[in-house]
Amino acid sequence: MLLRLRAILDTDGLTDGLRTSHLGRATYRRDASFLNADPLAVALPRTVEQTAEVLRACRDHGIPITPRAAGTGLAGGATPTGEAGARPVVVSVARMDQLRELDVANRRAWVEPGLVNARLGRAAAAHGLRFAPDPASQIAATLGGNVATNAGGIHVLTYGVMSQHVLAVELMDLDGEVHLLDGRAPEQGGLDLRAVSVGGEGTLGIVVGACLRLLPAPPATGTLLAGFPSLDAAAATVGALVTSDRLPDAVELMDARAIELVEGYAQAGYPQDAAAVLLLEYEGLPAGVDAGAATAERLASEHGATSVVRAADSDQRARIWKGRKAVAGAIAKQAPDFYLQDVVVPRSRLGEMLDTVVTIGERERLTILNVVHAGDGNLHPFILFDRREPDVLDRVFAAGHDIVETALRLDGTVTGEHGVGIEKRDFLGQVFDADSLAVQQAVRDAIEPTRLANPDKVLPTTVGCGEARMVPEGAWV
Amino acid sequence: MTTSTSWEPADADEMVAALADARSAGQAVEVRGSGSVLDRIPGGDEPVLSTAALDGIVDHAPEDLTVTVRAGMAFDELAQELAQHGQECPIEPIVDDGATVGGRLATGLAGPRQLGAGRVRDWVLRVRFITGDGHPASAGGVTVKDVTGYDVCRLMTGSWGTLGVITEVTLKLRPIPRQPAWFATETPDPTVAARLYRPAAVVTTAERTHVLLEEHPDDAAAQAADAGLEPAAAPTFPATARAALDPAALPGFLAELQHANSSPEGAALQVTAQGQLGLCHLDGSADALARARSVVERHGGRLLVLDPALGLAAFGSGHAPDAMTNRVTAALDPDGRLAPWRWER
Ligand SMILES: Cc1cc2nc3c(=O)[nH]c(=O)nc-3n(C[C@H](O)[C@H](O)[C@H](O)COP(=O)(O)OP(=O)(O)OC[C@H]3O[C@@H](n4cnc5c(N)ncnc54)[C@H](O)[C@@H]3O)c2cc1C
Ligand SMILES: Cc1cc2nc3c(=O)[nH]c(=O)nc-3n(C[C@H](O)[C@H](O)[C@H](O)COP(=O)(O)OP(=O)(O)OC[C@H]3O[C@@H](n4cnc5c(N)ncnc54)[C@H](O)[C@@H]3O)c2cc1C
Repeated sequence: MLLRLRAILDTDGLTDGLRTSHLGRATYRRDASFLNADPLAVALPRTVEQTAEVLRACRDHGIPITPRAAGTGLAGGATPTGEAGARPVVVSVARMDQLRELDVANRRAWVEPGLVNARLGRAAAAHGLRFAPDPASQIAATLGGNVATNAGGIHVLTYGVMSQHVLAVELMDLDGEVHLLDGRAPEQGGLDLRAVSVGGEGTLGIVVGACLRLLPAPPATGTLLAGFPSLDAAAATVGALVTSDRLPDAVELMDARAIELVEGYAQAGYPQDAAAVLLLEYEGLPAGVDAGAATAERLASEHGATSVVRAADSDQRARIWKGRKAVAGAIAKQAPDFYLQDVVVPRSRLGEMLDTVVTIGERERLTILNVVHAGDGNLHPFILFDRREPDVLDRVFAAGHDIVETALRLDGTVTGEHGVGIEKRDFLGQVFDADSLAVQQAVRDAIEPTRLANPDKVLPTTVGCGEARMVPEGAWV
Repeated sequence: MTTSTSWEPADADEMVAALADARSAGQAVEVRGSGSVLDRIPGGDEPVLSTAALDGIVDHAPEDLTVTVRAGMAFDELAQELAQHGQECPIEPIVDDGATVGGRLATGLAGPRQLGAGRVRDWVLRVRFITGDGHPASAGGVTVKDVTGYDVCRLMTGSWGTLGVITEVTLKLRPIPRQPAWFATETPDPTVAARLYRPAAVVTTAERTHVLLEEHPDDAAAQAADAGLEPAAAPTFPATARAALDPAALPGFLAELQHANSSPEGAALQVTAQGQLGLCHLDGSADALARARSVVERHGGRLLVLDPALGLAAFGSGHAPDAMTNRVTAALDPDGRLAPWRWER
């Protein structure tokens, strides 16, 4: 089997297409989550044809595959878990990283899966265009990974998640056959299998290409930073903003701990006495942007904002965003480890949810800081810890578990953008009833009948199983 | 359309029972919303499962920008309710035809504002439905962001009643634009779209190109002046047939149609295009539409014809399902109880 893979991958005098050594496998044991496991081998195909042959070889030997791109995923989706004796081959698409075509006239781009999100952004910007999905990981995460996780970002409120920007997907099945989903004629008749493949988390096959929608870059942008005396006041402002007559394009919330942490690191000029800040952005044509920003200033003040600043120029704007984007880096300086959660609640429950996160942190004696895509009700509590501290992991996982349970209790859901992977898999029995889970399984099996693509991920193995496990057996942190 | 049997269940439980009835009688059924489209698909007198009694709003949460409605509710009634709160879901049909919310989803045909607002599927947060084998299920959730499990919500959108009976839908909402206004060019000029920042709609008829601007009135005025647009009425859409093809192939398609149009028998074709979307709305004779269909399909697209009197299939060979589609359909409707004839008519 490994010989066959080597023969497929090491052609033209190249010898690094397959990694089988302990060291070669080591960096592919995990994504950006804690969950990790040892793959059988790592395949790094350079072409679609090689990928097809790798998949056929795995299929012939009944060996599961774990698709992988940049490995910035946070749900263990790219972690190569498998039963003893059925360890998967990691199939990395990282070397297929070309921008195949930038179709400026029709405002779309055909990309290979390993192309990094920010690179498409730069290529589009040269033509006055932009690619809207902007996950905080965009300098590293790939578009194939973004498709596979249905990634979100900062501007989801008005632009929507990844799926809204994916016009077509080339999905390769385990026979190595490529299916062009929704590419021929957009919409109108025929099932939207493209939609299912977006967010498939590697369980439906490998995304070997995608056609993505580009938008014109906005002529005007208004960015505001508002400080609040309490989390509740900030949350209430969010409620008022989304029911005002113009939706902001981005509404991010950071709590006092997050503000303090990034200020020391990025000097973004956030008010240090605030219990929370909101970062707001309006994009579009100038009068609309001004009107939106004026409304936001008024609403923030009405809800007790202690400071409201509107960026005067692009430097100031960049500085405001720098604080938000520096969170992960700032944390890495402060705490050796962090566990980043991802839950969603209806926007009206945001205040309640944030209060409960604070309580959970106090109870488990953990520092939790909140960075929230507030306009979407999507929370990202960062739980900081040092794994050398005895028993700390139990408390970290207990806190994570409680945060998810709280979101569910508030009519929310277990993941808004990072995906299910292994991390959230066993919660699905709480999200869906048995019939709905059966539908999920049936759709998956219909698209990927071999059950070799990322088999442990997304759906619980026994439908309706009980308690969630944060650390699956066989994995270590 | 005359119908042999029909059911009009009042809730999801009755819907399950009705499906069981049909099943024990060995019958496959057609799900019917208001019938505005269904009655225009050539067909027999299959038993009908109507959603007419599934009416009304279940929950409107203005502060969450979501609304949950029963599938049989008329879309325009919903729109009126939402408007009282200054909100909308911009997936109205191109013709005010009594469409139900379930019918909007099931057909997935986007309305005139698709260019700016996106497709129907992008506004659907949660769907409750009964599978072909009679199980009540749901997909999605009431939050605006949700990647929990596979996106079966979008899969149900555009499934034309072949995967399940949609009983309840949660939609995403947005504030109603304050002063939407239609403008037009003097002569047809689809390239005007490129000179505007994200227009809500661009629709080219034989006479002119209509543009809908939903921005702040000052911005709209400035845009219109820059692009040489005059205030105009909203366009009306031919609604016999609808072509969807790759936007890059659309100019070629239109050129071929125009060529056919210059011959006497081709003159019987009215074409309105939403070029950026690869969409064309057509009225015409059976011959003209048959020819249009072959041109569309040659360009890799599809033509939907909704007029049984023309003697043309509604979907045509461009819609023939592939193996994966058949497997997914069988996954939700294993015994072929829900309009198994759909794509053949
Ligand atoms: C600091 C930080 C910030 C982040 N911020 C955000 C954010 O704002 N929004 C957000 O949505 N996410 C965010 N993420 C999560 C992550 O970046 C996204 O999930 C991203 O889409 C993953 O892309 P990747 O290339 O790293 O994929 P990987 O991690 O390699 O893979 C992710 C999943 O997709 C599958 N996969 C990858 N490539 C393919 C393919 N070609 N075909 C089929 N399946 C494939 C894998 O099997 C796995 O299940 C963040 C992560 C970090 C570390
Ligand atoms: C020729 C023509 C072209 C059109 N083009 C467009 C267009 O381009 N854009 C646009 O916005 N509108 C268009 N429309 C209108 C639009 O399709 C209808 O407004 C609407 O979507 C149909 O709603 P209905 O309730 O009448 O559905 P029906 O006509 O009753 O049913 C239509 C289909 O949906 C299924 N269905 C209905 N309800 C359910 C349910 N609850 N669960 C499962 N399946 C269900 C039916 O089985 C059937 O397959 C067009 C109409 C016509 C006649």
